Amino acid sequence: MEYVSPEGLRLDGRRPLEMRQLRAELGAVSRADGSAVFEMGNTKVIAAVYGPREVQQRSQQLNDKALIRCEYTMANFSTGDRMRKPKGDRRSTEISLVIRQTMEACILTHLMPRSQIDIFVQVLQADGGTRSACINAATLALADAGIPMRDLVTSCSAGYLNSTALLDLNYVEDSAGGPDVTVGILPKLDKVTLLQMDAKLPMDIFENVMQLATEGCKAVANYIREVLIENTKQLENRRGV
Amino acid sequence: MVGLSVGEKHFIQGGIAQDLRTDGRKRLTYRPISVETGANGSARVKMGKTEVIASVKAELGRPNSSAPDKGKVSIYIDCSPTAAPQYEGRGGEELSMELSAALRQCLLGGKTGAGAGINLSSLSIVDGKVCWDLYIDGLVINIDGNILDALGAAIKAALSNTGIPKVNVASTAPSDEQPEVDVSDEEFLQFDTTAVPVIVTLTKVGRHYIVDATSEEESEMSSAVSVSVNRQGLICGLTKRGGAGLDPSVVLDMISVGKHVSEQLMNKLDSEIAAAEATMEEE
Amino acid sequence: MAAKGGAAPATYSPSPTTFKKKRPPIFTDVDWVRPDGRDFHQCRPAFLRTGAVNAASGSAYAEFGNTKVIVSIFGPRESKKAMMYSDTGRLNCNVTYTTFATPVRGQASSDNKEISSQLHKSLEGAIMLDTFPKTTVDVFALVLESGGCDLPVVISCASLALADAGIMMFDLVAAVSVSCLGKNLVIDPVSEEENYQDGSLMITCLPSRNEVTQLTITGEWSSPKIHEAMELCLDACSKLGKIMRSCLKESASTSQE
Repeated sequence: MEYVSPEGLRLDGRRPLEMRQLRAELGAVSRADGSAVFEMGNTKVIAAVYGPREVQQRSQQLNDKALIRCEYTMANFSTGDRMRKPKGDRRSTEISLVIRQTMEACILTHLMPRSQIDIFVQVLQADGGTRSACINAATLALADAGIPMRDLVTSCSAGYLNSTALLDLNYVEDSAGGPDVTVGILPKLDKVTLLQMDAKLPMDIFENVMQLATEGCKAVANYIREVLIENTKQLENRRGV
Repeated sequence: MVGLSVGEKHFIQGGIAQDLRTDGRKRLTYRPISVETGANGSARVKMGKTEVIASVKAELGRPNSSAPDKGKVSIYIDCSPTAAPQYEGRGGEELSMELSAALRQCLLGGKTGAGAGINLSSLSIVDGKVCWDLYIDGLVINIDGNILDALGAAIKAALSNTGIPKVNVASTAPSDEQPEVDVSDEEFLQFDTTAVPVIVTLTKVGRHYIVDATSEEESEMSSAVSVSVNRQGLICGLTKRGGAGLDPSVVLDMISVGKHVSEQLMNKLDSEIAAAEATMEEE
Repeated sequence: MAAKGGAAPATYSPSPTTFKKKRPPIFTDVDWVRPDGRDFHQCRPAFLRTGAVNAASGSAYAEFGNTKVIVSIFGPRESKKAMMYSDTGRLNCNVTYTTFATPVRGQASSDNKEISSQLHKSLEGAIMLDTFPKTTVDVFALVLESGGCDLPVVISCASLALADAGIMMFDLVAAVSVSCLGKNLVIDPVSEEENYQDGSLMITCLPSRNEVTQLTITGEWSSPKIHEAMELCLDACSKLGKIMRSCLKESASTSQE
């Protein structure tokens, strides 16, 4: 199948190096300590953060740092064909783990010993790149909750189809079976915290694709920073500072 | 669920007794309701801070052998852990199940389909062979009391912007084989939602009952009665929550109050749904 | 299933058209005889016995027409370690059907959880849960044969079993349901009537306190009809309450002898 037309346009009309429309909103869930909605094109996720709070299960308590927990769930109606999956299937468990490890790396857990932070991510619409969208939403929600972090982790994916490197794959491109590189970075520190790839790629091309995904992460980081600054300004206005 | 001090409890109960609730509402006033309809067959409803999403999906299926001339409707509700940490993992299953059961009871009517909000016979395509399976999925995103009413409203709104594709049946198929059906991509039949009831939950706090209780008010309830009422003012279903017993005359009174309130809610909801659809078309 | 096919064909082929059930015309008439010959407002004879299961701390057997139910109570016993401290007792209800309870084998086992939660909701209002903090009472109900009105029978039988176990209650819980068939209201319907009902109303109540602990309605009802049905149910509940009470007295007097 042709994923990039001779004119250099992708199936959804984007250029190979173009990202989907981003949209973010803070404070979507009133009861949570921090929450955010993050959209990448048609992919839409909600993240809610509860904590830092008392550890629910004593046996899990860590005396030198905070316990981070994460749960990823997909709404029944999030995909094209309706599936009723049992909770805690392999894919959700794996993504929960990935998100938890990524966030754990950037939260200053040693500041909050003997406490627990819960991150819940709910996918409302899935159109490829849910992993990245979830990490971005979780970062925003953590920032909204005021949890100390080393940096804002952001994530983006890139792929390689029809001998072209493509940024931010959608569902059709994702399910084409080509390589799919998901990168998560700490933009300020310029460090990679997450790197996942399935399928195979020659080394030199992989470097290109990864470079592209990293650029994508930086673009997301800029956007997230803007959203946070805008939100802080609004808070200031409301307080009348 | 909600930790309240004795003082706060007294404040809530006292306010309800004087017909002035903590957020300034009267006992029988709803919070502002906002309805947003999305792509085909989905809707988001906010009642105060309570927020739910409902989606409707139709698939072709085979009718049950016990009811060959009817389609099938299934309602599943999920409570997202984003709403409250205790719904993590399997924690939300109990509430999800209770809500699904209550909605099934309130919307699908009796065994023969009397009082059903969704006419199952209209979902039949070829008797005994092909019918529409309607999957209604609800997702609770944010909880601040009165989830059942919000879900009922969201399902009504989602159904009213559901288009069921027109189906052409090849008439030549022999009677013992599965007939060939051709689902149209362009022609849609709008789903008729005039019969879909609204659900009104009356929460009894002290000696009074209130509608649209918040989480704090719900923590003070002794019992709650959910009535689903259709446009003709007939009761289509009723469930009771909370263990405390009620005097039969109180139950009857609650039903009549619920019926009265449902008229306002029905009108309010209809205008909100119409407004939401109008903004959809503008976009 | 194959038996329904009529004249036995050489190979079995399911033909849905032969299953097409028609609503029997009798149900639409004003005058018809109920399948078991009762009046519209007449309940089935109730047979109740306590002490059906020796190992349990309390148990009861109930037989209403073809509906046969055993309920056994275990506890109050220590709540599971994983559960948090609670200053009131916990009630754990579980309803199961035998595989042979219904005409089609294993058919009724789909909504056990729903029935269990209904049982829990109707009982919790009657039990003095604060008399046994930190503990759990298990209510296990087994429907031996399903002949209509299963839930009300399970509830009544469970409250009898609770009384037999010496669990403190405000009152016995009596449950009765009414089916609406066309214009008629029939009390205590059998399975056949339940399959063709337009609506149903179930009440569980504490007869001597005149309190309703649970009420469910399905189908389309007008207010006067609800009124009528509720009165019918409450009247039947108070009668059932008396029967339950006499059953308890009887068992108490025999054990004393």
